[in-house]
Amino acid sequence: MRCAPRKDDFATRRKHLQKMSDQELHAHFWKLVEDIVAPLIEEARTHTTPSIERSVLMRMGFSSVETKVLVQRVLERGLLGRGAGRLLLGLARTKGVSVREAGTALIEGKYGEELGA
Amino acid sequence: MKLSPDEKLEIGKVLEGLEHYRPKRKGWSWRRKRHEHRIGPFLYKNTSENLKRSLPLSAAHAFGDIDPQCDLTITTEIASGRFEDDLRRMRMAAWHGADHIMVIRTTGQSHIDGLIEGTIEGVGGVPITRKQIRATRKALDAIEDEVGRPINFHSYVSGLAGPEIAVLFAEEGVNGAHQDPQYNVLYRDINLHRSFVDAAEAKRILADGNILQLDGAHNANATAKQAWKVTPELFVQHAINTAYSRRAGMPADRIALSTVPPTAPPAPKIRLDLPYAVALRELFAGYRFRAQQNTRYMEADTLEASVTHVLDTLLSRLTATDIQSTITPDEGRNIPWHYHNVAGVNTARQTLMGLDGVTEQIVLKKDGGVHAQVRELKERAVLFLEEILAGGGYYDAVAAGQFVDSGYFPERNGDGIHRDPAGGDGAGSVVPREADYGAPVCSHFGTNVYASGDDKPCDAIGGCSLCDASKIRYIDELDPEDNVNQRLRQPLADRAAGVLRPEVEKHADGVVCATLFVPASPKVAEAAALEMARHMGLREPVVLSRRIMHPAEGSVFEIKGALDAAVRIEDLQLDDRPEPLPEAEIEAWVRPRQLHVVAATVGEDEHSVGLREILDIKHGGIEKYGFHCHYLGTSVALQRLLEAARDTAASAVLISTIITHERVHERMMRELHELAKRHRLREKLLLIAGGTQVTDQMARACGLDAGFGRGTRGRDVASLLVQMLKARGS
Repeated sequence: MRCAPRKDDFATRRKHLQKMSDQELHAHFWKLVEDIVAPLIEEARTHTTPSIERSVLMRMGFSSVETKVLVQRVLERGLLGRGAGRLLLGLARTKGVSVREAGTALIEGKYGEELGA
Repeated sequence: MKLSPDEKLEIGKVLEGLEHYRPKRKGWSWRRKRHEHRIGPFLYKNTSENLKRSLPLSAAHAFGDIDPQCDLTITTEIASGRFEDDLRRMRMAAWHGADHIMVIRTTGQSHIDGLIEGTIEGVGGVPITRKQIRATRKALDAIEDEVGRPINFHSYVSGLAGPEIAVLFAEEGVNGAHQDPQYNVLYRDINLHRSFVDAAEAKRILADGNILQLDGAHNANATAKQAWKVTPELFVQHAINTAYSRRAGMPADRIALSTVPPTAPPAPKIRLDLPYAVALRELFAGYRFRAQQNTRYMEADTLEASVTHVLDTLLSRLTATDIQSTITPDEGRNIPWHYHNVAGVNTARQTLMGLDGVTEQIVLKKDGGVHAQVRELKERAVLFLEEILAGGGYYDAVAAGQFVDSGYFPERNGDGIHRDPAGGDGAGSVVPREADYGAPVCSHFGTNVYASGDDKPCDAIGGCSLCDASKIRYIDELDPEDNVNQRLRQPLADRAAGVLRPEVEKHADGVVCATLFVPASPKVAEAAALEMARHMGLREPVVLSRRIMHPAEGSVFEIKGALDAAVRIEDLQLDDRPEPLPEAEIEAWVRPRQLHVVAATVGEDEHSVGLREILDIKHGGIEKYGFHCHYLGTSVALQRLLEAARDTAASAVLISTIITHERVHERMMRELHELAKRHRLREKLLLIAGGTQVTDQMARACGLDAGFGRGTRGRDVASLLVQMLKARGS
């Protein structure tokens, strides 16, 4: 629902705030903010995005050009929710190669079927 | 790389070996504050350590060329589109006291889902890439050594690639960043869920990298029709980003609120803006404040903008501020020019030094009007928050258009920004993490199977790029045409050929600015001014600013145009006269010696102004150093002048000779020399001539000791007298 125009009703709307001390008002302000932010941060804690996964792969030693392809491979297989970094590390362990070798192979089109296995 | 003050910054050297360059230090640096700090004749209260090298304010000349540095970090925003040109501007700004360099990103980078590489040219900003920021950090590392103070480098972690840009910044030693998911949502229409989920990851990376975060609330001022009415919402936007940052792991002292005094004169600025500034500092005690100057009401008049910015800076000092951001005075009319960045920095520097210690003398009233307004603003903000929760939370509030409404909340005009939580750029790209989700790297936010034990998450891969820089993958260029090497061809060729062209923004852009007053009605005057600019040889002249002095009497215009003139350095005639002695040194030598000087305009010549300016204490003439000056007047005979010199036992005779008809000025000089010889005075007297057509070479050729031409000041003459008298053993 869209916000409708409204006249300034501050004088009536503020009545419940009037008696609060400045300190109480500040505490009330920050409590409300925390309540607003809580579901947002919970979503962040439990979700991921292509950019987050690419940033993980950057930290694992891949260039921006490589992370783009690698995350695309993961997305194509619907595996992003397990974490691109974890999948790559798992692949490297299965194959007995380094993370970098596993990534390079994946970019070249190898090991696709074994990703996430 | 080491810079020398008399050598230009070599971009080639910046680019050399860049693939292996690591930043000297990481994380944000504050100035080192000094409370009771004696500098020159003054004891300062709000300063920081002096710079090793800098260019002081003009008036510092009267106080022994002191350059006190205020205690606030000073920001300047630099982004021409070519980072290689910006580096030179950063160096200039640093020499004037800027220690926070903010680089605006090229238009549209927010919407690119991923990183870009290389050094492609930007529009209205610079494409933020690894190579570009590494080169900038390398140049700034050298510049901070040159000036003797850490310089913070800053850019933006917004858009679709926030987490990746945050990693890039942490790896490359960027020191400050804007990060506020609300900015993405409201102004860039990037999907709401994507923005917030990305933001938590980005914030965690910034926090661990000790990078200072600025929020984006100030954009509401710049967007709202009546900026002062959006103030209750500003508290809300600041608070949402602040609380979200804390939850993502950011410490309070790395969170800076970006705040702008919302109005500008003729609005009653201080009275309107002060309660807002006070309320903000009270509600957000413990956080940092970045005070930005007002842009919302900037027009083309740079002086008017500067006065508003002085008042903004006054507010910063009267409340509490950690960073004073500056706006270039020309931002209302063009992409900022080199010297306007310096002007903006100087506006803040001059104002803050002028206000040094003022809060020891002026205190804001705790009761009465200000307090009532402060309280009202806070309550309006609380009501805004209550309405968000009553409506179902943040996502519903954004969907309903609760933000950036032009009404003074709880007033609503129904013109807020609406965003569909399921829409926007990147919609549908947020994925739930599975139970076995993992990311074997540091600075990762949220559930992660690698983050459970005592070990670092990146131990699983033997270290991540944030712990081991050798893991960083550097890409040089991807575009063979659009890159810095191609762009440098012309500047390097010009440099090799010793050619100079004027510039305001990019190398040799040729742009110049002329000021013309035309005594006619506005339309006629403007057309005439443009025509005059064409006569001056300016290509494509454009009016930058116009001010009516009177509807009939005339208008003044600033006109920019391109000047197609390249000059060769080897063809230039340089003023090779040595720098005059310091004033104190001149006076210390002259005053105890009781030296007399006789002076007159000679021949049939009634010009008196030039010589009076050389002599009179009121005009900074040589009297001020203690010379006893005997001024005989105009059209004085040489004989009389020499008699007076003998009578007063003068050390020097100064003649002024302006008329040059039939080379009479040269004849006068020769005759003075000959006459002095005849009177056996030549050895005892320094004979010096001055005049608009006189040169030192000419005077010496005529037998005199020195000559001075146009633009000479008393100090020049006094300095030479002292040097010559010393050499004679007087």
